[in-house]
Amino acid sequence: MTATPNANPNPKPDPILRLRGIDKSFGAVQVLHDVSFDVHPGEVTALVGDNGAGKSTLVKCIGGIHSFDGGEYWFEGEQVQVHSPREAAALGVEIVYQDLALCDNLDIVQNMFLGREKRRGLVLDDATMEEMAAQTLDGLSVRTVTSIRQQVSSLSGGQRQTVAIAKAVLWNNKVVVLDEPTAALGVAQTAQVLELVRRLADNGLAVVLISHNMNDVFAVSDRIAALYLGRMAAQVSTSNVTYSQVVELITSGRSGDLGLAHTNGATA
Amino acid sequence: MKAGPSQEEIRRHNLGTLLRHVHIGGSMSRAVLAERMGLNRSTILGLVSELGSAGLVREELPRDTGRAGRPSLVVRPESDRVYVLAFDVGVDRLAAARIGLGGVFLDRREIPMAPGRRDAGKVAEILAGSALDMVGTAQHGTYCVGVAAAVRGMVRRPDGLVRAAPHLGWEDEEFGEDLMRRLGLGLPVSVANEASLGALAEHLRGAGTGCQDLVYLHGDIGIGGGVITGGQLLTGDCGYGGEIGHMVVNPRDGRPCGCGAHGCLEAEAGERALLETARRDPTATGREAVRAVVEAADRGDITARAALRDVGDWLGIGVANLVNVLNPRTVVFGGTLREVFLGSAAQIRSRINRLALTSSRENLRLRVGELGDDAVLIGAAELAFSEILVGPLETLARAGA
Repeated sequence: MTATPNANPNPKPDPILRLRGIDKSFGAVQVLHDVSFDVHPGEVTALVGDNGAGKSTLVKCIGGIHSFDGGEYWFEGEQVQVHSPREAAALGVEIVYQDLALCDNLDIVQNMFLGREKRRGLVLDDATMEEMAAQTLDGLSVRTVTSIRQQVSSLSGGQRQTVAIAKAVLWNNKVVVLDEPTAALGVAQTAQVLELVRRLADNGLAVVLISHNMNDVFAVSDRIAALYLGRMAAQVSTSNVTYSQVVELITSGRSGDLGLAHTNGATA
Repeated sequence: MKAGPSQEEIRRHNLGTLLRHVHIGGSMSRAVLAERMGLNRSTILGLVSELGSAGLVREELPRDTGRAGRPSLVVRPESDRVYVLAFDVGVDRLAAARIGLGGVFLDRREIPMAPGRRDAGKVAEILAGSALDMVGTAQHGTYCVGVAAAVRGMVRRPDGLVRAAPHLGWEDEEFGEDLMRRLGLGLPVSVANEASLGALAEHLRGAGTGCQDLVYLHGDIGIGGGVITGGQLLTGDCGYGGEIGHMVVNPRDGRPCGCGAHGCLEAEAGERALLETARRDPTATGREAVRAVVEAADRGDITARAALRDVGDWLGIGVANLVNVLNPRTVVFGGTLREVFLGSAAQIRSRINRLALTSSRENLRLRVGELGDDAVLIGAAELAFSEILVGPLETLARAGA
């Protein structure tokens, strides 16, 4: 290897989301230590780490569900304060959780606009909502759903994931965080979801993908951020690391000259 | 010394370019066309009306834009009136399609067939039969402007002689001529390698849109390859270029390949290698069999995992070589390699990152094909459309409009 693995190969657009020195404790347990994290537009950033490494907590901080104890949250070059999911949504940050939070008894359009329905006077503007939903799905080249008036209960796991992701895109979000979108999906459906994830980024969005599946990570990501026991072990370009290096970063926090300086398991 | 292009040549070129824009890009307004072609609006107006009166494009109101003000008309290709015939001689199926200007599938026929040797005349007969059937159902006032066929084999340029198609047992078959005679439409039949056409399709309409340097790898019974460099399909001297499947990656103790060599990429990373290493039922082949291996690996089957790791390793070595030689922006995995890539991306990427030169790989994008099984047919259609996009009015006149 001729370059240092964490050197940025070519100047990319500035990160849209930049976290610096994030600390977060729940009571006596410190979950995040001095975490820095960058998310770039047009890229998929994979966030990896063992169970309990702090991935979900970090994501919840980004989404405004938890406020952090210390550190800086920069968005589009400006430092901001995010104390609630509403504030995060106002910035253009949307999180798609594992459980998807879709209503089974509603159809695709109703789900996509749930709580944010378009109105024309006193009544719902169904035509506009339908048109917008169809356009969004079309823009993502989603061909797997036959009718947007289908009830969500009749959809497969992959289709549900698709709807949840499309819902996140509909609102002109700039950063979309996907928490394990391919967990519990079959191979064909995983392929569809991964293609969708890739397309989001190719359309210019900043995408954060949490995944345990290294094939998924290497298939779609541009950057990999590895958390180890609440610390950011390394954030590297996917074109500069190997599978075994990433596994080492996840399991021991370092790999060769990558990663944390001293890791003996101490978290203090 | 050659004089500059004449007024007539420039006009012909502009007509072709405009038609290509709406053919590839879909409906767009004259203002957008003017901007993309760098011509002024009155020139565009003239070109559009000329193509319009020939029946190649139509101007119409766009769908509701949701914006205030009078919407501007959009120019759209006359997909229903002007079409081509595209054929794909697959491993386990023959496919024929009638594809309209703009790349719209108007009609298609698929004839399943058992893998193995096939008489070229018989194949041409079946394809010509379904094509004439489709032409017969087309409405009056529609025009066929080109015909092209994709073959899994070595196709000579420019005459389209199929030198060798081992999966079909063909050698020096004048397949295109035969097909042309049987169709009796008075149109020549262009023949090309299937993966080259897949590359063309993904470049124009799929995962490689807007990317001028692309390598396409197509997996089915073997591994086919197509290379686009500087926006042009790489053909080589006689048209045999881009046989990525026969790039030797493991010559010393590699598996024997159908071509007679040992350790070709196709032999090490093809469907047969994967299914054999995963100890699968040797009679089951094709996408479903490959998918079953990926599925099993996902569930934790150790043999399937090892097989995918092996295949991914060889694919990574192959792609690393291609990256060093061609410096592509995008490598597209199509056919059954789509499943293989998603199931072994970690291995493939790691290999590339270890073997390919840093500067060549740093902007490399690995993508799966977006057009699926239709990539080859779409590519064949693009080949068949190439003439009308160069000289729209002349080609249409020849088609009898």
